[in-house]
Amino acid sequence: MTTVLRRVGQALVTLLGTGLIVFGMLAVTPGDPAHRVLEARGIPEPSPAAVAAVRDELRLDDPLVVRFGRWAGDAVTGDLGVSWRTGRPVADEFVTRLPATLRLTGAAMALAVVLALGLAAVAAAAPGRWPDVVARGVALAMLVVPGFVLGVIVLDVLVVRAGLGRVIADGSWATVFLPALTLALASAASWSRVLRTSLLEAASAPYLRVSVARGAGRRRLLGVHQLPNAAPAFLTMVGLGAAALIGGAPIVESVFTWPGIGRYTVEAINARDMPVVVGFTLVAVVGYVLTSLVVDLVCAALDPRLRTGRAAA
Amino acid sequence: MSALGILRRPTVPAPPMARPAWAAVLRRPAAQVGLALAAVLALAALLGPLLAADPDLPDYTNQLAAPSWAHWLGTDQAGRDLLARTLAGARTSLGAALLVMAIAGVVGLLVGTLAGAVGGIVDTVLTRATDVLLGLPSLVLTLAVVGVLGPGFWNLVLAMAATSWAGLARLARSLARGSAQRPDVLAARMSGVGPVRAVLGHVVPGVASQVVVAATLGLGEAVLALGGLSFLGLGAQPPTAEWGTMLATGRETFAHAPWQLLGPGLGLVLSVAAATLISDALRDVTDPGRQS
Repeated sequence: MTTVLRRVGQALVTLLGTGLIVFGMLAVTPGDPAHRVLEARGIPEPSPAAVAAVRDELRLDDPLVVRFGRWAGDAVTGDLGVSWRTGRPVADEFVTRLPATLRLTGAAMALAVVLALGLAAVAAAAPGRWPDVVARGVALAMLVVPGFVLGVIVLDVLVVRAGLGRVIADGSWATVFLPALTLALASAASWSRVLRTSLLEAASAPYLRVSVARGAGRRRLLGVHQLPNAAPAFLTMVGLGAAALIGGAPIVESVFTWPGIGRYTVEAINARDMPVVVGFTLVAVVGYVLTSLVVDLVCAALDPRLRTGRAAA
Repeated sequence: MSALGILRRPTVPAPPMARPAWAAVLRRPAAQVGLALAAVLALAALLGPLLAADPDLPDYTNQLAAPSWAHWLGTDQAGRDLLARTLAGARTSLGAALLVMAIAGVVGLLVGTLAGAVGGIVDTVLTRATDVLLGLPSLVLTLAVVGVLGPGFWNLVLAMAATSWAGLARLARSLARGSAQRPDVLAARMSGVGPVRAVLGHVVPGVASQVVVAATLGLGEAVLALGGLSFLGLGAQPPTAEWGTMLATGRETFAHAPWQLLGPGLGLVLSVAAATLISDALRDVTDPGRQS
């Protein structure tokens, strides 16, 4: 129980820190937000009175501490402010695009886990033999080819030339496979490399020799002893690796014109629409913090050593 | 010395890089291939632009030409020689990554050594701040900083540096921890050296060498992130020869002229491969448990 509380507290501290960083960014961005909002509403050169009215409406003249408190309170209740570009609430813009991003990152995560498990199991089953060499070579190749380069090639060769899949991704399950695979490859590769190592480490444990002496086959050793022992470390890595998937989403979404919040944010950066950028940062960090929180709690539930170890420390 | 109980450094991941360790690293084929790649890339970035044609010279009679003896990698939509642009891009892309890791290294070294050597409340505050940064997805944070500064080459370099130093600071802190009580530092202090000079003279050199190694290994990831964000139009702007930007502009006419991806794509792949192979070899040597 104390483990859970500690871990949740840690997650809250991270979120508060993010809030401070992000609000600081919003505050130091050059330009008057009131001007930007008025421009978005179609008034390119507003009168001082109009600017003052909007400053009053957005309550920009309050002390910073008061503004931070109000901003944080709003963010917690799901109000991310008003886009400087469209004048519409950022939360509304996100709600229509978030499902597509969740679909993409979720599918990428599942693909990455499956690929990593497969590659690592093949490699660790016969260390040093040809399946191992091939699997490690594949993992290295997956690791060094950047997702956006691969995405461009995949889109041209498979979609445009070979006619597989649709050119315009509409964010549905039918079109998710290629972008998700592109996003997943690098993570799958690095996870499989670490997992292979921990499988081999688990293989050198004394109890495995006992198991071999009792006549257990290679498959049983892998499935019953090595994989469960390597699971907590693997899960932790998947939790940390969620950062790469969330951070990579804007790039892959832009390549595949995926209608998610990542691509929307890239457009917002080019338009200097800070509330959208800040909103994306908050959503992404919350997603990441929640993922790693869940992973850590699952690990603690799976592995009693983690629980007692942390309580003692 | 050890009777003082102050040489205990449980969190240090690797023993200090002694000569034998480097020799062991160099014997590994992965390191040899990685270093060879890195040398080729460095030479291409340093000497390439001197030997090749003008990367910004348009030739509108020769747009999107296929690779030939005159243009080894073909030409782009303005008829510019893609080999020359790839070499100029190596200078921009690799130079930017070098700059990012250099800034991050200096900041990480300063923050980490300060936290580790001073300890107390300074350590607590700096470590908490570093931990928050490390607990966030770095690409997301980089996007946010670019959002504040606006797109552009220097802004992207700054944003990347601002989000890459935390890991190096953690390393520096773990190495500098408790150093105020180390015998050599105490001896220096007793002989009348001020606290700042004692740390600069006795702690920083040892910490710096390891931070430099870690920052060098981060170069591959920096090249990758810079390329990706420039590809999105957040870094160097189009006329500049930069790998990510070249890929983005080449993409529009990719269907007619696929060779446009060759130079910048290969450059990125080889850079990341070099960094990965070298750090693999290094980790195999410094972490015996990982050897197989």
